[in-house]
Amino acid sequence: MNNKNILIKQILYLVLPVISVLLLIVLWFFASSVNRVLVPTPGDVIDRFVKTFTNPINNQYIWGHIWASLRRVLIALFFSCSIGIPFGILIGWNKTAEATVGSLFELIRPIPPIAWLPLIVMLLGIGEIPKILIVFIGTFTPIVLNTATSIKLVDPLYLDVGKMFNANSMKLLFNIALPASMPAIFAGFRTATSGGLMVVMAAEMIGAQEGLGFIIQRGMDAFDVPLIMVGMVVIGLVGVFLAVVTNYLEKLVCHG
Amino acid sequence: MSRKKQISKFRYNIYAILSVVVFLILWQLIVSLGYGGIIPSPVVVFRTFLIKMTDSRPDGSTLPTNILVSLQVACTGLFLAIAIGVPLGWLMGWYKGIDRFVRPIFEFIRPIPPISWIPLTIIWFGIGLGAKSMIVFFASFVPCLINAYTGIKETNKTMINVARTFGASNFKVFTSVAIPSAMPLTFTGIRIALNSAWSTLVAAELLAANAGVGYMINMGRSFGRVDIILVGMVSIGIMGYIFSYVFKKIESVVVKWRTV
Amino acid sequence: MDKKLRLRINEISKSYKLKKKDYHKVIDSLSLDIFDNEFLVILGPGHCGKTVLLNIIAGLETPDVGFVELDGVKIDGPNPDMGMVFQKTGVFPWLTVMENVELGPRFKGEAKSERRERAQKYINLVGLQGFESHRPPQLSGGMKQRVGIARAYTNNPEILIMDEPFGALDAQTRYSMEEEISNIWSIEKRTVIFVTNNIEEALALGDRIVLLTECPARVKEIYEVNMPRPRDLMSEEFLLLRQKISENTDLSIDSEV
Repeated sequence: MNNKNILIKQILYLVLPVISVLLLIVLWFFASSVNRVLVPTPGDVIDRFVKTFTNPINNQYIWGHIWASLRRVLIALFFSCSIGIPFGILIGWNKTAEATVGSLFELIRPIPPIAWLPLIVMLLGIGEIPKILIVFIGTFTPIVLNTATSIKLVDPLYLDVGKMFNANSMKLLFNIALPASMPAIFAGFRTATSGGLMVVMAAEMIGAQEGLGFIIQRGMDAFDVPLIMVGMVVIGLVGVFLAVVTNYLEKLVCHG
Repeated sequence: MSRKKQISKFRYNIYAILSVVVFLILWQLIVSLGYGGIIPSPVVVFRTFLIKMTDSRPDGSTLPTNILVSLQVACTGLFLAIAIGVPLGWLMGWYKGIDRFVRPIFEFIRPIPPISWIPLTIIWFGIGLGAKSMIVFFASFVPCLINAYTGIKETNKTMINVARTFGASNFKVFTSVAIPSAMPLTFTGIRIALNSAWSTLVAAELLAANAGVGYMINMGRSFGRVDIILVGMVSIGIMGYIFSYVFKKIESVVVKWRTV
Repeated sequence: MDKKLRLRINEISKSYKLKKKDYHKVIDSLSLDIFDNEFLVILGPGHCGKTVLLNIIAGLETPDVGFVELDGVKIDGPNPDMGMVFQKTGVFPWLTVMENVELGPRFKGEAKSERRERAQKYINLVGLQGFESHRPPQLSGGMKQRVGIARAYTNNPEILIMDEPFGALDAQTRYSMEEEISNIWSIEKRTVIFVTNNIEEALALGDRIVLLTECPARVKEIYEVNMPRPRDLMSEEFLLLRQKISENTDLSIDSEV
C-alpha cells in the first residue's frame, strides 16, 4: 500500500464518525418534520431538559429524581455486595454449601428480577423498601454468581503454592482464592450495576413518586415525548458515571 | 480416588435434592400453620398450575397460550438482534471504516437501559407484537454486537498471518479465520442476550400487554391472586431455563472445536 | 561425602481415570532413594508422570500404591520441610515481589521484621534487589521464576522440589538461570529434586541423574555425575555422558497425553 492510500484512509477514519453523527441528526430532524409530537427535535429535548432544572416534576427538580434512582441502586448494591460476596464465597468454596443452599439459589435464579415485582408489590406495597428489595434481587445474582464461579475455578497451582507453605484452609481462602478472584468479582459488580439500573427503572415505572423511571412514566402519561427522551438520556449518563466510578474503584483495589 | 469422587458426587446430588424437598416442606408447613400471610402453599400453587393449563381465568388466556405469546415476542426480538447485531459486530471488528461509522451511534444508545425504551416504543408502535419485539431487540442487540466485535478483535494475529502468507484475500481471512475464531465469544454474547431479552420481555408485558406470562402475573396482582403470580414466575423461570439449555446444546454443536 | 538417606520412595504407582473403566497409568511401582544435600535431577521424556511424582513427594497428591518416607516418617500431606518451585511459576500477581517472597513465613505467623530480613537476603541472592515493590505482571518470565526460587528458599526448606522451573524460558535465560541455581545451591546447600526433560540441563546441574521411562514412569537408569562445578558444557566427559544418556532415551517427540 502506498502513502497516498494510507493518507486517504486516515482522513476517511476521521470523517466517518462525523458523517454518521450528522446523518443521525438529519434523520432525526426529518422524522420530527413528519410528526413533531411523536418525534420531537433534538432542540425540543434539550429545551425540556433545561426546563427540568427550573420547573419541578412532582415537586422535584431533575437532581432530586437522579438522586432518588441512584440512591436506590447504591443501597441495593451495598446490601448485595455485603451479603452476596460472602454467600458466593461460601458456595464457591464449600461443596456441601454448594449442594444445599447453592441448589436453592440455582433454582430461583432463572426467574428474572423484574418478575418478582408484582409479588413484592403485593406483599410490601410500593414504598421505598420494596423498590430497593427488587433492585437488590437484580444485583444480588450476578455478584453471587461471579464470586462463586471464580472462587471455584481459582488456579489450582496457586492453591498448591499455599499448601506447600502449609497454609490452612482459611488462609488458602482469604489470602489466595479471594485476591485471585477480585477481578471476576468486579466484573460481577459491573454487571450488577447495569442490571440494577434496569430494574430500578422498571420498579419506578410501575409505581413511584420520584426517580428517572417515574419521569419517563410521567412523560408517557402526559404524552410528553421530550420528557421521556430526557429521562432516557439522563439514565444513560448515570450508567456511564457508575461505570467510570467502578473502573476507578477496581484500579484502586486491584492495583491496575 | 476416582471411585471416591463418584461417591461424593452422588452424595452432593442427594444433598441438592434433599435441600429442595426441605425447602418445599418448610414452605408448606409455614402456610399450613397459618404464618404464610397471603402466600399460598406449594400444593395450591401446583394445583393452580394444573388448572391454568386449560382455564383462561382470570387474565383471559390459558398458561400455554400466554407462554406461546411471550415466546413469540422473545424469539422475534432475539432473532432480529442476532441477525443484525452479530454480523454488524463482526464487520465492525474487522473493517475499521465500519467501526468508525457505527460506533458513535452505538455508544450513544448503549448505556440506555432497554427497559426505558418501553414508553417510547409504546407511543410509537402501540402494544402489539412489533412494539414488544422491538424492546426485546434493544435488550439483546447490545450484548450480541459487543461480543461479536470483541471476538473478532481477539483473533490470534499469528493465525491471520498464516492465512495471509497462503495468499488469502482480506475478505477471505475475515470469513475463514476471524469469524470462526470469534464464534465462542459470539455465542457468549447471544447467551447474555438471551437472559437480558427474557427479563426485559417480562417488564414489557407488565407495563403494556394483553397477553403473555408477564401480563398474567400483572393480572394476578390486580385480582389479588398470589397463586397466579407464583405460577407465572415459576413458568418464566422454567422457560428461561429451557431456553438456555437448548441454546447450550446448539452452542456445543457449533463450536465443537472449543471442547477438544 | 557420606550419604545420609533423606527421602525413600517405595514402589509407588498412580493411575488416572480417563473414561469409564479406562485407566491411564502414569507411575508404575517406582522406587528411589534420595540423599541429604544432593542435587538430584529427574530426567523424563514427554509429559508422563514427572509432575505427578513431584506432587506425591510434596504431599499434594497420594499414590494409589506404595509410600514416600521423609527421614523414616511417611508423608501424608504438605510438609514445611519441603519447598517447591512450580513449572508455571505460581507467583501471585496481586502481591509485590517482596510479599510473594515472604509468603511462607507470613503464613507461619513470623514477625514482619524477621521475615522481611530473610526475604531480602534471598531476593538479593537471586539478583532481584531493586524490584521488591514491583508486581509480577511487570516482570519477565526469568524474573518471575527467580521470585519463585527466592520464595521457596525463604521458607527455609530442607528439601527443595523444582518442577521444570526453566521449561518456559528462552534458551539464553535458561542457561544463565541454570548457572545461577547451581551457584545458589553451592552457597546454600539443600537437598534438591529437580525435574527436567532436557538432557543438557540435567547434566549441567545434577549430582545424580535419574532417567525415567516413557509412560508409565519407572526408573530406567541412574547416572552419577562427578564433574566439578561450574560445568564445562563442551568437555569430553560431558559430551560422552550426554551421548550415553541420549542413546538410552526414547527420543519420541514430546507426545501429548
